Amino acid sequence: MNKIYTSLILVFTLIVVWTIYLTNVENDTNSLTVRYYTIEELSTKEASITKVKVGGLIKPDSIIINDIDQLEVSFYVYQGSDSLKVYYYGIRPDLFKDNAEVVVAGAFDDNLIIATELQTKCASRYEGDLKNIEKI
Amino acid sequence: MISQIGSLALSISGGLILSNFFFLFYYAIKKDKTFLNVSERGLIAVCFCVILATLCLLNELLISNFNLQYVSQYTSYETPLFFKVTALWAGQAGSLLFWTFIMSIYSLIYIHITLKKMPTLKYSSYIMLSFIFGFFLLLSNFIANPFQPVSSDIIVQNGNGLNPLLQNVTMAIHPPTLYLGFIGTTILFVMALSGLISKSLNFEWIQSIRRWSLIVWTFLSGGIILGGYWAYNELGWGGYWAWDPVENSSLMPWLILTAFIHSSMIQEKRGMLKSWNILLAASTFLLVILGTFITRSGIVSSVHSFTAENLGPLFLAFLSSLILFTGYWFVKRFDTLKSDNKIDSFTSREGGFLYNNLILLLMCFIVLWGTLFPILSEAWNGEKIYVGATYFNQLNVPIGLVLLFLMGIGPLLSWKTTSRSTLLSNFKIPMLMSFFSGVIYSIFFGPFQLYPLVTCMGIAFTITSIMNEFRKSYKKSKSDNKSIPTAIVSMLFNNRHKNGGYIVHIGITLLFVGFIGRAFEVEKEFNLSPGEEIYFASYIFKLNSIKSEARDNHYAFISDMDVIDERNNLLTNLRPEKRIYFYWNPDPEKRQPHSELDIYSTMRKDIYSIFSAYDAEKNQGYFKIMINPLVNWVWVGGIMMVLGSLFAFWPSKRRSYGVV
Repeated sequence: MNKIYTSLILVFTLIVVWTIYLTNVENDTNSLTVRYYTIEELSTKEASITKVKVGGLIKPDSIIINDIDQLEVSFYVYQGSDSLKVYYYGIRPDLFKDNAEVVVAGAFDDNLIIATELQTKCASRYEGDLKNIEKI
Repeated sequence: MISQIGSLALSISGGLILSNFFFLFYYAIKKDKTFLNVSERGLIAVCFCVILATLCLLNELLISNFNLQYVSQYTSYETPLFFKVTALWAGQAGSLLFWTFIMSIYSLIYIHITLKKMPTLKYSSYIMLSFIFGFFLLLSNFIANPFQPVSSDIIVQNGNGLNPLLQNVTMAIHPPTLYLGFIGTTILFVMALSGLISKSLNFEWIQSIRRWSLIVWTFLSGGIILGGYWAYNELGWGGYWAWDPVENSSLMPWLILTAFIHSSMIQEKRGMLKSWNILLAASTFLLVILGTFITRSGIVSSVHSFTAENLGPLFLAFLSSLILFTGYWFVKRFDTLKSDNKIDSFTSREGGFLYNNLILLLMCFIVLWGTLFPILSEAWNGEKIYVGATYFNQLNVPIGLVLLFLMGIGPLLSWKTTSRSTLLSNFKIPMLMSFFSGVIYSIFFGPFQLYPLVTCMGIAFTITSIMNEFRKSYKKSKSDNKSIPTAIVSMLFNNRHKNGGYIVHIGITLLFVGFIGRAFEVEKEFNLSPGEEIYFASYIFKLNSIKSEARDNHYAFISDMDVIDERNNLLTNLRPEKRIYFYWNPDPEKRQPHSELDIYSTMRKDIYSIFSAYDAEKNQGYFKIMINPLVNWVWVGGIMMVLGSLFAFWPSKRRSYGVV
């Protein structure tokens, strides 16, 4: 084997191993990865977790927007019969409303998610079924 | 009537593909050329049937035939004409047909031009093309048929309409451009493997596949840049790249294709790396199919999801069969892929291209690993773990910087080997320029942020090195006693491959200028009533008024905000809007709010404004302002990349290459 090829393969392997290592270190403060939990899993957890990612639907009539500062909001996300309270401060996506599908990421403590990220998934209006079509 | 014709054309093309396999099978047994010719005609007929079907669907969209499920899902009477056309690729079924449509056009060009010149590739090309067409026609006929009528018990009065986010000119051209790039990789795959199977990896083959790869690269690059441009101008999170799985799926084939374009040059010049090039060319297509699998299966959550029918398992089966096929022939023909030459030195042009391949492959691996990580980790121990933008940036930024310097180092190296004295004299000026720009940068901005500093030095290094190349060829062409303009023109046109490549490299360097800006972004969220003002990032934002207006297909709240700079001059007036689409709908659930941005854009910085909410009781608007430096350089760089690439492969009049 040519020594140029050997050294290139060596460098490649090293960085690949380094990448795999970085994504697998068990460390709560490691900022590279975040674990996705189901709401059911989280609602039984007692301990606080510094980084979580959760997906679910917004519980109807649970959105409470602060009167004085409209950027402050709390709401419940649910999945089946389990639900969790979420607190978020900041600009909300356009599609944020009851029953919208959301993904939130942030810290989990004492049954509350303090979200730093709030994303909504595309509205059902444009995908899938014909339930929104005006019928005669 | 027209829809029946379209539906019929789709079924016929499916039948033709099936019969094609029999003809190819007979040819394999009897070696009678007639069968091969029949299967060629068969493929051509399939292409025309698919084109006909696409035109039929387009017609139905234009006349708003709401008896078709697809038409009623993605258009309405209110949808403007232009966007009725773009609805062709807005949903799953239509976009699959559109995919096959582009594949038909490419295949016709491939059959009529490339295969005419290289008839030895015919047999294996037809087998692969029939297989790939067969897969997509299977989907279009049985799984996601765009001509599916709505169920007989409903009469649709008006359709859904197109998502307002997609009603944007960039969004109208971004998907087709990207598709032209994605689907073009099919030809690279077919050509690479048929060259391998028929053992005809000659000079003509490499020239032709290189040309194809440049065409595909141009569309892919253009598509990716347009996607970023759309996200930046429409989505309202102030960025152009978010490491979303779908964005990543378009980046991976781009990286590998870029690697192929470089390493195939070594094969063209010195007959090396044949096996490697086959793998790269085939992998671009495999990565495109992998990306399609990711997008259309919903296994990774993404903003770009198609969730209507789950096509995941089918794409996975398709991908696996392609990988097995590639692997089988690669192993079987491995002995024909020996190099004609050996690589001599670390400091050679060949070496430079190899480092480039190493970097691009590493980036591709990092992106692939990050994108698939949630799936892999879930399969491993049941925990779904996502990696964020931090992962991609932390790993890709330093590697990308090496690539930036490599673009400048490459031209300084000679083929085979570079002597120490040439090396020193070549590196002297770019190194000096790089050093000085680093010093100047530190004086103005401080040396505390490492990456912007290194990027700045890399840009200076690379631009100097490329400009030096232009200067050398200019001197050569000037020596023929030409006037300055003719000397420049003849210099540029004399070696278009090389010069086009350098223009692309300058474009990429300009992208890096834009990337520096990311380190200096600032943002603020606040609320204002008309008449109030706020101070942020040395500007005063003064809200004059918030007006409302009912328009054709939405209701708009329009803010009017003055931006005043440090010297108390009115810099600009921003008018971000909050729009409510479908506001006439009595059910508030079905109304759709949308924030229409307003951006004050200069080469130095963008002032990006979002009107996010309106409190009617208090007459108060909620705004987000972002100051994004140097963003425009990304678009300028992107345009240069595409133009440079066009310049490199555009057929010349004098010396017609003729080989596509």
